[in-house]
Amino acid sequence: MTKKNKSASQRRLIPTYIFLVIVSFISVFPLYWMIAAATNTSTDVSRGKIIPGTYFIENFRNLISQQPLWGSLWNSFFYAILTTIVCLLICSIAGYGFEIYHDKAKDGLFSVLLLAMMVPQVATMVPLFQMFSKAGLLNTAVGFMMPMISTPFMIMMFRQNARAFPVDIIEAARIDGLNELQIFFRMFIPTMRSTYAAAAVITFMNAWNSYLWPKVIMQDNSAMTMPMLIANLITGYVTDYGMLMCGVLFCSIPTMIVFFVLQKQFAEGITGAVK
Amino acid sequence: MISKKKGMSLVAKQRAAGWAFLAPATILIAIMSFYPMIRAFILSLQTGTGANMKIVGFSNYARILSDKVFQQSIINTFLYLIIQVPIMLILAILLAQLLNNKDLRLKGVFRTCVFLPCATSLVSYALIFRCLFAQDGLINNVLIKLHILNTGYNFLGNSTSAKIVIILALIWRWTGYNMVFYLAGLQNIEYSVYEAAKIDGANGWKTFWKITVPLLKPTIIMTFIMSINGTLQLFDESVNLTKGGPANSTITMSHYIYNTCFMNVPNFGYASAMAFIVFIMVAVLALINMKVGDTRD
Amino acid sequence: MKKRLLSVLLVGTVAMSLVACGGGGKKADSGDSGSSADSNKLTVWAWDQTFNIKSMQMAADEYAKDHEGFEVEIIETGSDDCQTKLTTCANAGDYSTMPDIVLMQDNSYQKYLKSYPDAFTDLSDMDVTWEDFGELKQAYSMLDGKHYGVPFDNGAVIACYRTDILAEAGYTIDDLTDITWSRFMEIGQDVHEKTGKYLLMNQATDGDLMMMMIQSCGANLVDEDGNAFIVGNEVVEKCVDLYAEMIEKDVVKLINNWDEYVQTITTGQTAGVINGNWITATLMSTEDQKGLWEITTMPKVDGIDTATNYANNGGSSWYITSNCKNKELAMDFLASTFGSSTEFYDSILPETGAISCYLPAGESEVYNEPNEFFNNQPIFSTIVEYSSHIPEFTSTPYHYESRECINTAVGNIVDGADKDAALKEAQKTLEFKMTE
Repeated sequence: MTKKNKSASQRRLIPTYIFLVIVSFISVFPLYWMIAAATNTSTDVSRGKIIPGTYFIENFRNLISQQPLWGSLWNSFFYAILTTIVCLLICSIAGYGFEIYHDKAKDGLFSVLLLAMMVPQVATMVPLFQMFSKAGLLNTAVGFMMPMISTPFMIMMFRQNARAFPVDIIEAARIDGLNELQIFFRMFIPTMRSTYAAAAVITFMNAWNSYLWPKVIMQDNSAMTMPMLIANLITGYVTDYGMLMCGVLFCSIPTMIVFFVLQKQFAEGITGAVK
Repeated sequence: MISKKKGMSLVAKQRAAGWAFLAPATILIAIMSFYPMIRAFILSLQTGTGANMKIVGFSNYARILSDKVFQQSIINTFLYLIIQVPIMLILAILLAQLLNNKDLRLKGVFRTCVFLPCATSLVSYALIFRCLFAQDGLINNVLIKLHILNTGYNFLGNSTSAKIVIILALIWRWTGYNMVFYLAGLQNIEYSVYEAAKIDGANGWKTFWKITVPLLKPTIIMTFIMSINGTLQLFDESVNLTKGGPANSTITMSHYIYNTCFMNVPNFGYASAMAFIVFIMVAVLALINMKVGDTRD
Repeated sequence: MKKRLLSVLLVGTVAMSLVACGGGGKKADSGDSGSSADSNKLTVWAWDQTFNIKSMQMAADEYAKDHEGFEVEIIETGSDDCQTKLTTCANAGDYSTMPDIVLMQDNSYQKYLKSYPDAFTDLSDMDVTWEDFGELKQAYSMLDGKHYGVPFDNGAVIACYRTDILAEAGYTIDDLTDITWSRFMEIGQDVHEKTGKYLLMNQATDGDLMMMMIQSCGANLVDEDGNAFIVGNEVVEKCVDLYAEMIEKDVVKLINNWDEYVQTITTGQTAGVINGNWITATLMSTEDQKGLWEITTMPKVDGIDTATNYANNGGSSWYITSNCKNKELAMDFLASTFGSSTEFYDSILPETGAISCYLPAGESEVYNEPNEFFNNQPIFSTIVEYSSHIPEFTSTPYHYESRECINTAVGNIVDGADKDAALKEAQKTLEFKMTE
């Protein structure tokens, strides 16, 4: 492309830029507010001050003196990453299975599986708790992630995306002597990198932010996660808004980083390589 | 190599592999979801607490007919569904389309910005929205400065405007989330298709409706089902933004079910019955959705 | 070949979960059960680091002085989460995951006694003089004459006023002491006209003010037999009238949530706050208002024989679960600290601000110290004194339901709905919720 062409295309994009800047501003403003609040005293925050202050160190100090910040961050990372890896593996292979080998029976089974996500969690929590308690899985990472690692939604996502996976690749691979599992690992996974990246972002975020179930099943202080830590900051008679926002910042930033790192993977054309 | 194996034919082997692939997920869902669901259904036919449950048949379901608060919560939830989901999904596709442009600079930054809201922790998001829409919050201050209002309007204290605040909050929070799926889906559309369309003289709007939307159809159906499910089970916003108020005008079904279990004198039988009503609603809507859109051509 | 593949796949899945087990199988020291098996250790669920948890920790340290090796493990659990967790394990029929001691909101306890009567330990035989806690406070944690809880956090209602704003309108704290709501309304209108500020605010979504008014008359939304009693309840009707009138006359400002409540205080837009005395902690966090606040009694409802200037809002007590393996230790621990020691209460007051409901504690020197923030009033002994006057009323397991019903009705009435119809609706809804 010549220089002239380039600047012409940039000029054509001006309305797009303006629109995106507005949307980004609306999206980012609360984050800014959060950062500003984390640097102010509680009274200033509640008085509506939105200019950054100089109180961040104190807020941070108060936070780590009251709450096990590092331990909770570590737990959250550990549980979220573990959940993401296991979930992606189980759901992607299932989604692949449902689409590539689809027949009437599998389509029917898929519809049945979809039903699993439609009952409000509140109703199934007591039986689930009973089950986990009997199995001795309270306070364990397995207990944390089990209900989250096989979700109809993720299976559906991989199933829908597997539709774009060309059948001739599979045929070619079979002729080359690859078995079915090898095809999945060697052909499907690398080809569908973008789907995996998107699924990873979503799963990581859901696991990171999950609250109700972990709170019920993790009864031990050493298993505290970030959302639980945040919840502890707002249950007192007095809320220290500066400290709260400081904690919230630590709770929000990891997901943002994960997104930023992975977005290139799922949003920039990888498909061409295969087709 | 494969053909040398005795016994199973090639097709049979492939079919077996297919079943094996979906076995772990299916077993897990059966244990983690269907078993508790069946337990919950049995519970919905009972009344009492803890170990002292007795079977009462379908009286918990009949009870719903005279529960005005639950009926109100159904109306609220469907209002959110009808207004919020279409706006959010269209906005998400639009953003995905714009952010998929090869010539656009700072794509990563823009994408991250749009995604930010759903990465923000619930606590701060709720707090921020409550503050923004407070009687002397930022929104009111701006409106007063612009002379649109004389005094602060109590957005969260009025039943209509409180619903609007919830809808705005939902759109704000979940548009970027849905955009992720569209962005990923768009990667499966070959760039050459767009180039061809451009040569044919189609403008941006035309390519959007003629190419992007049809090719994204599987993803659109998926996000639609997800959003229906998410909205009908909406909980966080109702609890954290308005506490269901004023006078139950923003309470959602899941919020009310939660209250029945954990805030009020626990009535798990009745709560399970209500949960199954939610289940039926979601299932019917999802089925319609799939029948209308999910054709494998 | 294919078979091997299948087995690889299955083994892989199993291995994954095993890795997960191994990697993250951090079990609690006490195993799966919530209560402690260690004979000298108790597990506790409580919330608020600077208040309840600190008090509990200090109690444990105190007790450990005479009981070597004694310790508590406190698991921070917010009061709503505490209800969710307790209900989940109780309804699963699995008490084994409950801790030894649990802190609970006074208002929520009756519903647990009704739903899971065997989940808690009867403390009647404990070495405590129950009368020292005041009638009402005991009633929250009693059923059929048996004691189940050791009262801790005092919820006596106080009225706090900004004396500078009152002075601007020509009033002093004495003008607002021991008055009726109608007098309060006159002053409130005057204050609003002269200063533009409200004399009081109320969180529209939680109905605290309405409940305080009703209970200050020794009444509730249920009759003596525990049935819904809204229509025809003289006290309720009177309170609804007063409340609606105060909103209409700009005496009370309606706000939507706790953040706005705090904001209204810190920005100095309200001249007064009426709430449980724990609100003092929030007031005191606004340091530039030091010396401007003073406390007194809340107004009383006009024309009701049983009306008083005292009520209770909030507060909590300690309970021993039936899962506790070492009940004697737990009882002795609670009895010798929270149950009877004025020295202990003296020691936690300056550190945590936790005001006792143990009446003898109010007489000590520590409790009678003047408080600078409140213009040198001895607020702690005053609050303890208030708590001895609070009238008793019939408590109900359906506290949250009844409160929600009246609050919905009041919200609609303020919005212009017909009063009789709204109250009738509330009565019907509450009756509905009380059936199974």
